[in-house]
Amino acid sequence: MRTRTRQRTFGALAVVIALIWMFPVYWMLNSSFLPYNRIRAAEPTFLPLNGTLSAYGRVFDSNFFDTLRISAMVTGITVVAALLFAFLAALALSRFRFRGRRSFILAVLIIQMIPAEGLFISQFKLLEGWQLLNSVVGLSLLYIAAVVPFTIWMLRGFVNGVPRELEEAALVDGCSRLQAFFRITFPLLAPGLVASGVYAFLQAWNEFTLSLVIMTRPENMTLPLWLRSFTEANRVSDWAGIMAGSVLVAVPVMIFFLLVQHRMTSGLVSGAVKG
Amino acid sequence: MNRALRLTAGLAAAALALSACGGDGDDSTEPAADAENGGTPEPADIRLWLNGPDTPQSMRDWLVAEFEQQNPGSTLTIEEQQWEGLVDRLTTSLGSESETPDVVEVGNTQAPTFTTIGAFTDITDLVPELGGDDLLQGFVEAGSADDKTYAVPLYAGSSYVFYRKDLFAASGIEVPTTMQEFVDAAVKLKQDNASVPNFSGFWLPGQDWRDGAAFLWDAGGEFAVEENGEWTGALSAPESQEGLQLVQRLFTEASGAPKDGNEADGHVPFCAGEVGMMLRPGWLRGSLEDPEIGCPDMMPNVGVFALPGSDGEPAPVLLGGSNIAISAKSPNQELAANLLRIIMSDEFQSQYAENGLTPAKVSLADGLGTDEFAAATVEAVTNAKLTPAAANWATVEGSRVLEDLFVAIANGGDVQQLAEDADAAIADQLG
Amino acid sequence: MLLLPALAILVAALGYPLYRQAVMSFQEYGLAQQFGQPPEWVGLDNYVTLVTDSYLWTVIVRSVLFCFANAAITMVIGVALAVLMTLVGRGPRLMLQIGLLLAWAMPHLASLTVWQWLFDSQYGVINWLLLNLGFEQFAGHSWLIDQLSFFVVATVIVVWMSVPFVAFAVYAGLTQVPGELYEAAQIDGASAWARFRTVTVPLVRPVLLIVMLLQIIWDLKVFTQIFVLQDAGGITAQTNLIGTYIYRLGLGEGEFGLAAAASWFVLLLTVVLSLYYVRVLIREEEL
Repeated sequence: MRTRTRQRTFGALAVVIALIWMFPVYWMLNSSFLPYNRIRAAEPTFLPLNGTLSAYGRVFDSNFFDTLRISAMVTGITVVAALLFAFLAALALSRFRFRGRRSFILAVLIIQMIPAEGLFISQFKLLEGWQLLNSVVGLSLLYIAAVVPFTIWMLRGFVNGVPRELEEAALVDGCSRLQAFFRITFPLLAPGLVASGVYAFLQAWNEFTLSLVIMTRPENMTLPLWLRSFTEANRVSDWAGIMAGSVLVAVPVMIFFLLVQHRMTSGLVSGAVKG
Repeated sequence: MNRALRLTAGLAAAALALSACGGDGDDSTEPAADAENGGTPEPADIRLWLNGPDTPQSMRDWLVAEFEQQNPGSTLTIEEQQWEGLVDRLTTSLGSESETPDVVEVGNTQAPTFTTIGAFTDITDLVPELGGDDLLQGFVEAGSADDKTYAVPLYAGSSYVFYRKDLFAASGIEVPTTMQEFVDAAVKLKQDNASVPNFSGFWLPGQDWRDGAAFLWDAGGEFAVEENGEWTGALSAPESQEGLQLVQRLFTEASGAPKDGNEADGHVPFCAGEVGMMLRPGWLRGSLEDPEIGCPDMMPNVGVFALPGSDGEPAPVLLGGSNIAISAKSPNQELAANLLRIIMSDEFQSQYAENGLTPAKVSLADGLGTDEFAAATVEAVTNAKLTPAAANWATVEGSRVLEDLFVAIANGGDVQQLAEDADAAIADQLG
Repeated sequence: MLLLPALAILVAALGYPLYRQAVMSFQEYGLAQQFGQPPEWVGLDNYVTLVTDSYLWTVIVRSVLFCFANAAITMVIGVALAVLMTLVGRGPRLMLQIGLLLAWAMPHLASLTVWQWLFDSQYGVINWLLLNLGFEQFAGHSWLIDQLSFFVVATVIVVWMSVPFVAFAVYAGLTQVPGELYEAAQIDGASAWARFRTVTVPLVRPVLLIVMLLQIIWDLKVFTQIFVLQDAGGITAQTNLIGTYIYRLGLGEGEFGLAAAASWFVLLLTVVLSLYYVRVLIREEEL
């Protein structure tokens, strides 16, 4: 009984925090329904009553869906490749002892620390040499490299958390080593995969600078570039349009999360160990 | 061969200019003649980068049609760029033979960054037929380095004063004709409307040195001066001090704008009825008239005039605008030059005037029209000035020394001391 | 063998750029060089320019303070929220997760704009609220003109943006803690706090360490939030952090050599600052 009330209290607290955290998001949504002269005014408008959908009309008029397709491809490649590569690397680092292992770990860590501000110049030259400018593959390549160090670190921790005995049991059952990794270990990493997947997704989805210099042709625009175009569409920034566009940009992220979120709790705790 | 090519191209341009003056714009015979001579370059797809919304769609359509008609077989693709991030994009793309656009628009303050490094094609020989002395000379200078010209003006724009006729009437003020009258009007408006929160007789947010520059220059001051090839800050000089003192007076006695705010979105306080006068670019009119952005209801009470100087002539306001250039790495130099000729033609340039911008050629300014807004535009441009032509001026703007200076002045700081500090920083960055 | 794909992609995408970055830091490398002029070798000049700049050291001290304050606040809130997720039922948990994710997923252009509007001195919701609560002094109050106040606002925004990542990563780590361990500890009569300290923390330690390290790295390099706030108000010279200062040194105008030197300099600084964590991490590795 006592735990029930405590859980309720915590539940209420969680909801309150969620609401506070969401307030700026709500403000974005609210602004997307308001004409600009009501977004910024001496008396703030808290509810978009008598609002307008015209901003969404403008946003859909511009080539949202083409842009969405490019962004979806880049992000998809980045997430899948980063998770796969990181999973393999994490296995190697966690399950095997080999020379250079320590320096690899250290190198991955240091890469995280490099300030990337000026790097785009050289990365542009690199892709130019490979004729990968204005290509989904080229941009994805840079994104994968940007997120893979973190995903390796993250997944390594999770692989360490999976008891080695489980894999060995599978080996006894006649699986090959690689099969054992993919059949047994991989699913058990679900929470880690989801957390790093969401991270990789958002990095690729919202990245601006690299996309700006690599994807210079209008037909290759990614969503952040597309969104930026509303700041100068009309001399005065089209803020309602930007907010409406941002809402649309955030929707696929939410869909992605809702699709994967139940995996977050079905890791070791509720999963295989007990079964 | 090469010379012959250039000759025919030149003839075509001359013919174009003539027909443009004639006004009927029928140039269709010229390219055909070119083709017969075998003088046209290999057809190609030409990419033109234009920034932001200043060149409206109708002008773009006209440009594409005209170019493709004059250069049969070639096509023109206009790709709209945004000002934000433009330098990064130009830095990388202009250096790449496969990705470079053929013709690009750059801001007039960005032009020196690229002219000194060989990113643009030398078009010195083309300048006379593009307009020569008729071009806005400050912009030609911005696009030149070492006696060679790499970029020519595309269009310009400058600010004038928007004011509330009803508030002027209520305070018994006439449209000011000198700087002194203007300052008096600004202070009086604020006093008469003290009951309105945040009211500005003259709206001047703290960071807005670009509009504050007019008061500095009107008093004879400068941001920086060149002596024996060395640039130094000039803000602590007596004339500049006089100007900055006036700016401080405006901040404290006339403006109700945030003391550290920026000048974007001036229409918001204006539409809230908190502004008597403000110095803004001409396009603001469009925002004020827009029912979703501004306040069309207020427009009958809105008037404009060019900021008057101490001598009764228009005050020197900051001139903004764009230059246009050919990428040195473009494989289609001939076609790019053809495009540039069309862009600089009277026919295309006069369309800028029709859209309220100052065209690149002085002789076309009449095209702005005759109403109150056009008159203010024409007047404001006559004495307008550019930022110092130092090669590193972009670094000064990037470091925000001037924003800091004006914010500190707005907050009541010691103008002499602040100016000396700013001079030191500017000298450091220009040296 | 398993390392190969990750290694290949890192070398491919970062190897050459990093090499060039290193070479450039010893060169006078500006826009002209970008367009083909041969760069001049200047040895350590770029580095000397940096370390003899006294203002840079002010900026570094400011950045380190800002970084530690932000990383600490982010970690405390993030871990607390992660633990909270494990304590509540499915509904509230999903609600909290979605709330955090929305904040994380909101495009920066939108979120930074909204935060500016909220703190706006004349039309901001926060001043409006305070005014209506009877705090007259907040009429037209500028949140950015005062240095400390500027950084408080910056902290609110940075923490708001980075907590979701910490909360998700740590929560994912927490789900790996087997429930049996808790039960055992509970039977032993351990208090909730003791259980958290002795059971939970050691088990999620690897995740905590890496997340903390990343926060330090990111908060030291923080750029966009400060850049945008400086545009909105405040005094730039008083509010520059390493990221914005290096940019204003000339990266924005193409001083790539100097910027490259600054990058390596910041890298060194980061390594020094995070040495403790790196050592702990490596030591764990030997277990």
